[in-house]
Amino acid sequence: MSVKTEEVIKLKDLPKGDARCPGAPSTQDIIAADTVKAPGWVCSESYQFLGDEDIPTDRYTDPAYAKRELDTLWKKTWQFACREEHIAEVGDYYVYDLGHYSFIITRVAENEIRAYYNACLHRGTKLRASGTDGNAEEFKCSFHGWSWNLDGTHKSTTCDWDFPHVDSKKFSLPQARVARLGGFVFINMDPAAPSLEDYLGPEALSHIKAWKLEDRYVYLHVSKRIPANWKLTIEAFMEAYHVIETHPQVAPSNGDANSQYDIYGEHVDRFISTLGVVSPHLYGQVSEQDILNQFTLGDSSALGDTKFTLKDGGTARSVMAEMFRGMFEKATNTDLSKVSDSELLDCFSYTVFPNTFLFPGISLPMVYRFRPDRHDHRKCLYEVLFLRPVPVDGKRPVPAMPIHLEDHQSFTEAAGMDPGFGAILDQDTENLILQQEGVEASAKKGLTLGNYQEIRVRHFNRALDKYVGKSLG
Amino acid sequence: MTDQTEPAPSAEGAYTRFCAVSELPPESKKAVRIGSHWILVCHTEGRYYAVSNICSHATRPLMMGRVRHCTITCPVHGARFNLESGAALNLPATKPIATYPVRIVDDWIEVML
Repeated sequence: MSVKTEEVIKLKDLPKGDARCPGAPSTQDIIAADTVKAPGWVCSESYQFLGDEDIPTDRYTDPAYAKRELDTLWKKTWQFACREEHIAEVGDYYVYDLGHYSFIITRVAENEIRAYYNACLHRGTKLRASGTDGNAEEFKCSFHGWSWNLDGTHKSTTCDWDFPHVDSKKFSLPQARVARLGGFVFINMDPAAPSLEDYLGPEALSHIKAWKLEDRYVYLHVSKRIPANWKLTIEAFMEAYHVIETHPQVAPSNGDANSQYDIYGEHVDRFISTLGVVSPHLYGQVSEQDILNQFTLGDSSALGDTKFTLKDGGTARSVMAEMFRGMFEKATNTDLSKVSDSELLDCFSYTVFPNTFLFPGISLPMVYRFRPDRHDHRKCLYEVLFLRPVPVDGKRPVPAMPIHLEDHQSFTEAAGMDPGFGAILDQDTENLILQQEGVEASAKKGLTLGNYQEIRVRHFNRALDKYVGKSLG
Repeated sequence: MTDQTEPAPSAEGAYTRFCAVSELPPESKKAVRIGSHWILVCHTEGRYYAVSNICSHATRPLMMGRVRHCTITCPVHGARFNLESGAALNLPATKPIATYPVRIVDDWIEVML
């Protein structure tokens, strides 16, 4: 894209953080031109300049920093542990791990969910293995058979005659706090932490409530270990700035450099990246029909082999919105007549600090979760869950079983993964290997960020500074 | 979900009647002792699976376990097994459970011992 000299001078005179992609419509301009209008949570902006100093890199490389995170950040923040449909019936449980921490998330009554520290109070054996789920009438230790009721009260001690010093009433399973929102079960180990509602703040909370993600179900769940620190990995998904270089195949149908970035309080931020419009980097090189020929979705299975054709005088974006609406309705047996073009097409990426991404759109209906590898701070576990609307007949399908990819496998090998989207994740992974190694090799001990397009990375690191500290030095 | 003992064991290596098809509607399971075998048949996601009803971890019955995605989870300690292969999928089990060929003949579910 060419920019006139006087325009560059003008941009440089702007206050820091005020510059936007020159010569391109804003995300809000694009959305305002849509046929089916977007709701308020789409049509708002909430950017704030947060400084331009470098981000210290020891947080990505120093095992002592990772250890400190376990005692500070992970013990004090709200974390997405499972979806409610994972534990739909009383007695259903789901084991959630973070580092060496492990919890049994279980439904103890129709409308009550608890999170127990996953360890026997006798000699410490995990009551359920990590990464498992199931249904139980009690939690019985596989070592000596001590057991606990679903409500966490102590049920039995094998040979209780030998334990006169054990007061059963004081041997209930310790609990973490639980909060439920949009079909997600969040937990927090800190009794003094703010409520989940206060943690998210009123505006972000209103967005999440508007999505009604409780009316979705997990239809695909894929996980893979990524050979990079969890924070480098999470940051790789916070901006569309990398699209033109990392995912050039996507750029013909993605408004990348003119994506919108917003922050909400301390713990939530987002971008909106429009689909069905050409990247400002490619203006003059791509036709509207090219956009229709090349777009990539997170969930294109609903579209089958359909080819899209431009109508006279129309735009690729309007054709895609019209076609998507009908095809997604048919494929998912849902009513999308009131859903805006933007919600149907665009990528809405929200981060709930520290490690969860929510994508409430229809074409990219995902959740990301990132967790540190408990044995290696240079690796992390990445998960993507695709959420589809619950069918109109109201019957909620059983959530998909996770597919765990081996380190050497491509994301495209996961059954059900859209090939185009899997290829994107592979490209991100390849970068992350080089970035982890490069950060360690670099003579420069700080990351330099763009003021607008990388504001989510800075926002994330500000929260990190608050919980963990700026650096170890 | 029922458990019963069949009085007449059949020869090893031959199909034998397990129960009537009508006794095992979709998303249900039934355990029956046939000779020295304690067999659990699960009817789930449109298929029938016949496995040992005895968990390989601590020899407790699997019959009350949750069936989902072609697996059964032991209700006692949480071990999980693949219903098709019998493979142990997570701790505390590390060894598989036995599986049996199963077929439908007329109105009967039959398993091969």
